[in-house]
Order: sequence, then structure tokens, then C-alpha cells
Amino acid sequence: MIAAEGITRVYHMGAVDVHALGGVSFEIERGEFVGIMGSSGSGKSTLLHILGLLDRPTSGRLEVDGVDVLGLSDREQTRFRLRRLGYVFQDYALISELTALENVFLSSLVRGAARDEYLRTAREILEEVGLGDRTDHQQYELSGGEQQRVAIARALVNRPAIVFADEPCANLDTATSRTILDLFARLNRELGQTIVMVSHEDWHRRYFCRVVNLRDGLVEGIEDQPCVPHEDI
Amino acid sequence: MIDGLRVSAFLAGKALQRGNKGTLVLTVMIIALVFVNLVFLPSIVAGVVAMFNQQSVDYNYGNLVIEPRENEQAIEGAGVLVRRIERIPGVLAVSPRLTAGGTVTFHGTSLARSVIGIDPSEERRVTRTSTRMIEGVYLSNGDTDAAVIGRTIAGNEDPRLDTQDSLGGVHVGDSITVTYTNGAIRRYLVKGIFQTDSYSTDASVFVTRRELEGVTGRSDQASQLLVRTVVDGDEEAFRLRLYSYGVQETVKTWQEKSRGIIGDVTNSFAIINLISTAVSLVIAIVVIFIVVFINTVNRRRQIGILKAIGIEPRLIVGSYVIQVLVICGAGAAAGLVLLAGVVQYLTLYPLRFPGGPVLPVVELLQVAQSVASLFVVSTIAGYIPAWKVAGEEILEAIRG
Repeated sequence: MIAAEGITRVYHMGAVDVHALGGVSFEIERGEFVGIMGSSGSGKSTLLHILGLLDRPTSGRLEVDGVDVLGLSDREQTRFRLRRLGYVFQDYALISELTALENVFLSSLVRGAARDEYLRTAREILEEVGLGDRTDHQQYELSGGEQQRVAIARALVNRPAIVFADEPCANLDTATSRTILDLFARLNRELGQTIVMVSHEDWHRRYFCRVVNLRDGLVEGIEDQPCVPHEDI
Repeated sequence: MIDGLRVSAFLAGKALQRGNKGTLVLTVMIIALVFVNLVFLPSIVAGVVAMFNQQSVDYNYGNLVIEPRENEQAIEGAGVLVRRIERIPGVLAVSPRLTAGGTVTFHGTSLARSVIGIDPSEERRVTRTSTRMIEGVYLSNGDTDAAVIGRTIAGNEDPRLDTQDSLGGVHVGDSITVTYTNGAIRRYLVKGIFQTDSYSTDASVFVTRRELEGVTGRSDQASQLLVRTVVDGDEEAFRLRLYSYGVQETVKTWQEKSRGIIGDVTNSFAIINLISTAVSLVIAIVVIFIVVFINTVNRRRQIGILKAIGIEPRLIVGSYVIQVLVICGAGAAAGLVLLAGVVQYLTLYPLRFPGGPVLPVVELLQVAQSVASLFVVSTIAGYIPAWKVAGEEILEAIRG
């Protein structure tokens, strides 16, 4: 599903070069719920951005869902993101002028889906994440946990190959975080959804099937662990 | 393409519907004022030009002026010619005028002026000077020892109140003396004073043509014939019609007669108009650019998110351009309402220019041009900042 090989990322900060990633290689299989973990500054968000095509590496090779994504133009990458990837950001990143339902169906609208179809799909997914009664609420009318569930519904609406989540519980209390992680686990288990999530909270570890531990921009180790069983897609 | 437009329109619609209403109203009002600015000054200029033109027709020339043939000093057989022209279809009236140079004197103040001899009853049908009496009454056909004079030449006792040379405060009942260039001296009772606001007419002295014929010894002659047609605005065709009916004298339209100072004034106004329009458009570009720039910069993060979830920059830019076009349309509509109000007010309470009251003349073409230019500059001013922000790196935009 994802094959990363020798991924490096160097930021040029004036005269200083900052090596955020020093050559990261690993693979992720379809249907896995993978955690990328590490302390602050370890390069986990940088890696997620590169895997999710929000940033380009300085060097390396990256294959996502069978496509050499680094060879794609910006426009092709945009279309790839739309059709095959989903994102959940740390601070929800909802469009404030849209309702929950509109935030969710927006990418279906961009894909050219018919009105009836995208409305039905978006409602179903919001129902799925427990927000069936909050469809017409705007961001300011939703709690943090609800906003994050809208963001998850938005990430899932186009049935992406992979959902990337960048510290989705960072702004949430423990109880709400647990709700969100349970939701991810259920989506992974019931839909076989491949999820790659960045976290620095050690207690999140038990939700993941695999954990990629990063330290100073390098893979420190990869742990395979028993994960919640899921059906093969 | 259509799907793209659908997405851009959706985003634009929601941004307008749920964005900051205060900013939206302010922006619409700014555009409305820019629109009024684009149309208002040209409408005043057009009003001034229309006023000068109307004055030319109503007080100076009628619609057409018949002048002596080349190398001749006067129109001979004026009476017959007047009757011939009056029978031409579409001609309302013809007024023969005879002019003679002279010096007008009152209480020791003298001014060189052309004295105009008119047939009062005919002149009343061609020009409207007789309706603009501010003192006394107009001439009658039988008057020989009376004159009517303009407000400007009559003047004021206090010369500081005069805008041009004057006789220093003539009133009805006073007598003025005219010394003609042929040496004849006549004393006329001032029967009336008129104020037309036409510079040249208000500086004139009128006596009857019969009186002037007596002074000059000329009989059945005219210096010019003023022709009033039933319909205004068709002067060129009427000139050809007069020629086709055998008029051999020189026929000029009022537009030709008005060239010169009025033409220069009109051309000067046209240049001022052009400069004003260009300045207004630059203001429009800058204002819209700033508004859209602030708007897009404030939404950098949102633009980054839209790109991250797979929305192409061209759709994002499209949504901003649509917003600008909607705002521009609303601004133009509000501007039209505002303009209609201003025009209505100024129609009831006209601006008083030195040349007379000016009613704004709003021309449809001018309005259409202003709306079109506003849309063009809005599109440009909206596109550039949106394109700039939408072209940023996703992470940079998201981080704001």
C-alpha cells in the first residue's frame, strides 16, 4: 500500500540546513492501522506530510497505492489526494463557512458526484461517526470532538485508499480522544480502512497494528503488535 | 469545466452567505461609491454640455442659422425668404435679425456692442429670451424708442458684483444712448431686462428691426435668419432640406455656430471626464484588490486546507473571482440606486453653475461602460491576490 524508501527532507533555513528526515524506509500494508510515533521534533509530522503528498521529500522513493507519487505533477498529486487519500488534521481544519454536511460532501462535489448521491453518502457517513443529528451545524456550533468526527467523515467520504491523521487527538481531552481512537479502530476493523496516524501519546500505541518509531528523523524501530482483527478488503 | 464551476460557485456562495456580513456590506458600498464616482462626474459634464447646447438653441441660434451668401454683407429680400422658409415642412418659425455695431452709454459708462434688431413677434417663436424677463417687459413690434438688454450688460451699481463689463446698474425706465458706427445716435428707454444665463445673449442689446432699419437705412435686409424646427436634433437633415427648397444663402446648424468657445469647453470637459474615469478605475482596482487581498490572506489557512483535500487552485481562485463578481454586481446595483437618488435630488434641486442650472444627464452607454469596466477591473483585482495565495505551498498556507 505504501512503500517509502530513503525518504529525506532537508529544510534550508538561511545558511543552516535542518535535516528533518534522514532517510526513512518502511512499508505499510493495506488494511493496517499504523501509528507513527516519536517525541516532538522527531520528524513524524514531516513524514506524514510527505506520505500524504502535502510536501515533497528532498530525496527518496515513494509508492502509494501502487503509484510512484513523486513522479506526479502538482495537479496530478492534487487529483490523487482527492481520489485516493483522506486527511484528518490536528486542529480539525474544517471550512468554517460550511455546515458539517457541506464539509463532508465538498470533496464528493469536487469529484463530480450527483447531488443526490453526495448528499446521501455524506449523511450516511455522518451517521456512521455519530453525528446524524448535527449535519446542519457549522463549526462554531460543534464541540472539539464533534469537529474532529466531522473531519474524519470528510476524510472517508470518497472511500480513500488511505486516511492520514496528524495528531487528531492533540486538542481533545482524554475521554474524547478515546472516542476518536475507538472510531478509527472501528473504521479500520469494520471497513478495513488503512489508517496512518501520527501521535506522541504513548497510550495510543495499543490501538495500532504497527508502530513506526521515529527519533531524530530516522526510523528507530518498527513494532508489529496484535491489532484489532479486521476483514480483508 | 462545469463541475469546476459548480464547486467554485458553491464555495463562493457559502462564503458570501456565511462570511462576515459587515465586510460584505462595506465592500458592496465601496463598489457602489466607485460606480457612482464613475458615472456622476460624466453625468454632470454631460449636463453642463447639454445646458450650453440648449442655451445655444433657445437663446442664441434656434436650430439653424441662415447667413448671407459668400462675399455679401446681408441677406437681401429677407421678408420673402422668411415666408418661403416658413412654408417648408418641419419649420416652426423664422426670425430675421439685423445687427449694427455701436457704443452703448449709460451715466458716462460706455461699452462697444452689436445692437440686434429683431421682429419681436417672430423672435418670440424662435428664441425663449422673451420668457426670461427679470424686469419690465419684452419688445413689441411697434417699438422704436425702446430696447431690452441683458442682465450682464445692465450690471450692478457695485461693480464688484459684475462678472463682465457692464453699464453699471441699468434698470427698467432708465435711458441708454447708442452711438452707431455710422454716426447715428439714439436714446432708448430700457423696457425690459432679461437673464438667460447665456453669456453672449445676456451681454446683448435688442431693439426692433424696424428701428434698426431706420438707423442704418437698410430695408428688407437681415444679418441672419434664425430658424426653429418642430423637432430638435435633426438639424443636418433640415439644412439639406432648406437647400433642396432653393435656399441659396449659407445655412449653418447651431452645432456649427457653437463651435469655438463652446466646442473648446466641451472638449475640455471630455478630457477631464476621461482623466476622472481613469482615476476612478484605478481607485476601483486598488480598493477591490485590497479588499480581496485582505480576504484571501485571512483565509490562507482555509485555502491550504481546500488544496490539501484535493481541490485544485483554479477552483479556489474561481470561487474568489465569482465572489468578486457577485459583490461587484451588487455594488453596481446599489450604485445605480444611489445614483438614481442623487439624480432625482439634483433634478429637483439643480446645481447652479455660473452658466445656469445644470441637470445631470445619465447616458445609458456611460452606465453600461461603467458597469463593464467595473466588472473587468474587479475580475483582475480579484484574480491576482487569490491566484497568489492559492499558488502557495499547502503547508505554508495551512500554517498561515
